[in-house]
Amino acid sequence: MSGKFNSNSAVMNFPRRDSQDKLRGRTKYTVDMENSDVLHAALLRAEIPSARLISIDTSEAKKMPGVKAIATHLDAPGLHGIGISDHPIFAGDVVRYHGEPIAAVAALTKAQAEAAAAAIKVTFEQDDAVLTMEDALSIDAPLVHPDWENYEILFDGAARGGNIAWEATVQRGDTNAAFCRDDVTIVEGCYRVGRQSHVPFEPRAVVASFEDGRYHIQTSTQVPWTVRHVTAKVLGIPEAQVQVTVPAVGGGFGLKFDCSLEPYAAILAKKSGRSVSLYNSRREEQMTCLCRENAEIRLRSAVTKEGEIVGREATVLMDCGAYGGEQVFLTSMTAHTLGGNYKLGSVRISSRAIYTNTPPNGAFRACNGVYNTFALERHTDEICSAIGMDQIEFRRRNVIGNGDIGATGQVFEGDVLRPMLEQLLEKYPIGDTQEVLPDGRLFGRATTVGTWFIFVGPSAATVNLNADGSATLVTSGVEIGSGTMMQSLPQMVAASLGLHPSDVIVKTADTDASGRDLGVGGGRTTVSIGAASMAACEEVREKLLSVASQMLQTKAEDLVLKNGRIEIKDRPGSGATIQTVAQQAELDFGPISGSGAFTNPGVKAMPGCASGHFIEAIDIPVFAVHDCEVAVDPDTGHVEVLSYRIIQDVGRALNPRAIHGQIQGGIVQGLGYALQEEITINADGAFDQTGFETYRLPLAGDVLPIDFELFEGAPSCGPLGTKGAGEVPILNVGASIACAVANATGKAVSELPLTPPRVLALLDDDGYTGLSLTHISSEWHKNTLGRTSSY
Amino acid sequence: MTVNLAINGDASTYEGDPRTSLLDVLRNHFRLTGTKAVCGEGFCGACTVHVNGKPIMACLQPIGVLDGAEVTTIEGIAPLDELNAVQQAFEDFDVVQCGMCFPGMVMSLSAFLKENPNPERDEVKSAMTGNICRCTGYERIIDALMSVQGLEQVSSQKSEKVTS
Repeated sequence: MSGKFNSNSAVMNFPRRDSQDKLRGRTKYTVDMENSDVLHAALLRAEIPSARLISIDTSEAKKMPGVKAIATHLDAPGLHGIGISDHPIFAGDVVRYHGEPIAAVAALTKAQAEAAAAAIKVTFEQDDAVLTMEDALSIDAPLVHPDWENYEILFDGAARGGNIAWEATVQRGDTNAAFCRDDVTIVEGCYRVGRQSHVPFEPRAVVASFEDGRYHIQTSTQVPWTVRHVTAKVLGIPEAQVQVTVPAVGGGFGLKFDCSLEPYAAILAKKSGRSVSLYNSRREEQMTCLCRENAEIRLRSAVTKEGEIVGREATVLMDCGAYGGEQVFLTSMTAHTLGGNYKLGSVRISSRAIYTNTPPNGAFRACNGVYNTFALERHTDEICSAIGMDQIEFRRRNVIGNGDIGATGQVFEGDVLRPMLEQLLEKYPIGDTQEVLPDGRLFGRATTVGTWFIFVGPSAATVNLNADGSATLVTSGVEIGSGTMMQSLPQMVAASLGLHPSDVIVKTADTDASGRDLGVGGGRTTVSIGAASMAACEEVREKLLSVASQMLQTKAEDLVLKNGRIEIKDRPGSGATIQTVAQQAELDFGPISGSGAFTNPGVKAMPGCASGHFIEAIDIPVFAVHDCEVAVDPDTGHVEVLSYRIIQDVGRALNPRAIHGQIQGGIVQGLGYALQEEITINADGAFDQTGFETYRLPLAGDVLPIDFELFEGAPSCGPLGTKGAGEVPILNVGASIACAVANATGKAVSELPLTPPRVLALLDDDGYTGLSLTHISSEWHKNTLGRTSSY
Repeated sequence: MTVNLAINGDASTYEGDPRTSLLDVLRNHFRLTGTKAVCGEGFCGACTVHVNGKPIMACLQPIGVLDGAEVTTIEGIAPLDELNAVQQAFEDFDVVQCGMCFPGMVMSLSAFLKENPNPERDEVKSAMTGNICRCTGYERIIDALMSVQGLEQVSSQKSEKVTS
């Protein structure tokens, strides 16, 4: 069978097909789908962080004008979650966070729905709330989930207890021996970050209906199959009763990597017999954002004077808010980020998701990798200061390379980080560093490294070859803005089948039409959906070539697919069009289609190193080297970024122009995180930042062009050697800015964001005493639930 | 209250609360959903439309003061099968991502470039400050706009009716 096609034909700056309608305002997002026949829904949300509910009286609300249906916890008996089923969609007996839904109302107008929601009478007894992780871990802390032991466990192996929703640990080698060596310097540091809000311009939104005994959910999501599963689980119905379709999504960034408003609309649709539209107001969207979580980190390292890291201990507290959610999963990723980048002689890590009475957190572009990289890179520079070694030299000696083992004992393949570092330094040599600029501002430069992963896992694809010679790609992929569904996927299918990408129709996600998929996130679309699509194409190719071989009386291995034709190798213009062959195939066998599947290849960790981990080793590591220069104004505390340049490991770049867009956008999101985006939680357990006035997104005047080079050729099991390129640009922005500000000021930068007040506090010689997280012990084993040996 | 106005050249009548925002009237009453509701507070610029040729944020504009006004929305900024110069530049430079901010971006920057056909890069940046984008990081959008300079073909089809 002919096998290989020229994979270079998949590489092009193919433009996205959805841009013209987006530019003309014609694209219909879920929020644009309120046609005249829909009912409008509103949620009644708790305005206190912790309470026992005594009664919920909807009788008056039901009589209000226009009201067609009201739903409460009685309509949604099930719990959902990741790792643990701990999350009801309505507060029934207990309120656990400010903003938690108590009831949902559908009415003829949005105003009527809101009025009726406000008329629902709720009586409750307020309880003490735990609003910080320090409070949650105190001896006498109230439990956010007093029934934590009774929840259904969905994934075995983790330690849990009280307000500790999940604890994942790593132990490799003998750290005690390492820290006791007499030739090591012990360096210890604490780091803290706040939450980051995604602010997708389209809020979470859904239109649901109930037709022919099934729910149809049109929604703004990254994960149609998760929405199907969770909706069925909380409603207590078979999953087959739920169909999820996804129009264009107006931004996700991870926020829409979970089920959200869909079950409320589904319940109301069935109860009212009408289609129901529900979307968050901007205030609701901000107040209940499943943020990148706030976190607190303690790191200790034992390092020789030659710079060898012989032992490392790490403890990370991740605030999951009122329900475990994504943070439960993300405890696994600490090992591969805090425990990444560098060779470690021995290591132990405790990664804990902590319940608090605050809004639940979620997934956000590169998730905890962003702040773990910040903590790790700052700690690395503190190690350099302690042992008197140059920051670049330390990284050259220690970055992970071919054959090195990671925190959980996985063996890394290929030298990637070191050549990337050299590539950056060659392009931007370290010059004579000025300490103070002519205008009096403090100058600093930093170069950081980062390790992240591609989230792989199951994907399915079907490719139908149409009688007109075009192909239709059917997957559960969603276009969230990154362009993957518009660019890299049709480019890959086209290259495989010898078509132009504009002849590849890409079906929008519909769980009734496409196979199961883990969703669009974690950089997995090009890799996982791409691999499934390529497998489907292979079946189509085989069928096409078999028919063409008969038609052309030529062996299949001597045939090539290109330019919409099947030609005899080295004889341009010979053979037949794909359309002709497809039509012949219909006569002989029926229409041609192929199906393909993919899942993670399962790279091995060292047995016994990790417990409570969903992912013990990373299947596709992805690396980044960032470098920036900053000027710090000692009078105002303002940090100006003077330059930002990166080398990004992409495996193989299929659409370099689209990757440029992801790099510029991802790094600017990271600059927001590093410098200005801040969420504070008040005594009511609510965010102080409820809109665009108080949550400061980067504006055009805050940004600069990012200079970048792509590093190609690192090992990857992705199709055509690809890795995801959209998630990773944000990975070490917080780290790079923090390290550069530390270099500029000579101060221990331990917290993000570096807002002007925080920078001024750093510069205050009398006032700044560093960060000391007393609720995380210097004795590592005290930061575990004791399942691990504590010698 | 009754408000008579022209929307993309169509004589249109609104009857209702004069305090309702132009944004809600466009989206909910006339189902012109190209104008995007994002922050609702006048910060993000996603709801920018032209009123009598001037860009304004529709979320801050009560409909009651618009009797007799000519309103152009993103649906009316270019003839049916054409892109205006700003839209074309965005298309050519492949800068669109999720797309939610772009209708407002097109409306603001079309008006800006009409008044300032040869701006410096810093001036374009300043002009974009009222249009927030969460996806792109702006700079490639600015690259695209700089390519439009001097063309002076940024028209807003102020009151011409757009027909197929």
